[in-house]
Amino acid sequence: MINSFSMDWYFITLIFFAGLYCMLVSRNLLRQFIGLEIMSKSCLLGIISVGAKTGSLALAQALIITMIVIEVVVVAAGLSLLVKNYRITNSTDVWSLDNLRG
Amino acid sequence: MTYHTLLFILVAVTAVAAVMARNLLMSALMLALVSVGTSLLLFDFQAPWAAVFELSVCAGLITVLFVSAVSLIRHEESKAAENRARFYAMPLVMGIVAIAAWFYAVPYFESLENWARLGGRPVPLGAVIWDIRRFDLVGQISILAAGVFVVNSIFPRRKTHK
Repeated sequence: MINSFSMDWYFITLIFFAGLYCMLVSRNLLRQFIGLEIMSKSCLLGIISVGAKTGSLALAQALIITMIVIEVVVVAAGLSLLVKNYRITNSTDVWSLDNLRG
Repeated sequence: MTYHTLLFILVAVTAVAAVMARNLLMSALMLALVSVGTSLLLFDFQAPWAAVFELSVCAGLITVLFVSAVSLIRHEESKAAENRARFYAMPLVMGIVAIAAWFYAVPYFESLENWARLGGRPVPLGAVIWDIRRFDLVGQISILAAGVFVVNSIFPRRKTHK
């Protein structure tokens, strides 16, 4: 029976990979944001797991609160760019973002 | 199989479901479930403040943002169907990664655990936020202001011509 810390990080690896796979495979920008969110969730779990292991949970919680605030701003700005792009190009495909192609 | 591991399995399964869902709205709702599972895990880690933040902001606010974005781009789904084969291949790829991680990553994490050292004396969360990492607050406030500026500049108020 392996211990709790390794088991936590095993699942964190899997969750991170799920988000990474979503970002790699999908061409829809909204789905890519969902992948980014899943990846950031796994990073958050990693921070709290290490904080619990080293006995500095307060520092880990402070970092997580900072991370959540930044995540919200990134998602809000990204989704508003996505909606604006949809109104201009009528598509959410990443390959439609080629206005600057030479 | 403890409650802790079950919660991790719940988060992993909902993450895979969020990626594989055909409907974007279902995908956003699965992401909310991932957030709820993460929040329960944070409660289980004895981190209530972070858990409350996660539950209110990530499971609440971000879900509202995603659902409103989905409703604004709703017509897209039926028009340009994505290639679904890669999404259907996901359980297979996840299974391969899970088996590989079990044999290669877990021994690495066990060796990492030997490097763990206990931090200094435990301090309350308020002291960490307001004293030790006070500089982070400046960054947070400036990032929030930047986000407001971005949204405000992307969607300017239309001037009405009289």
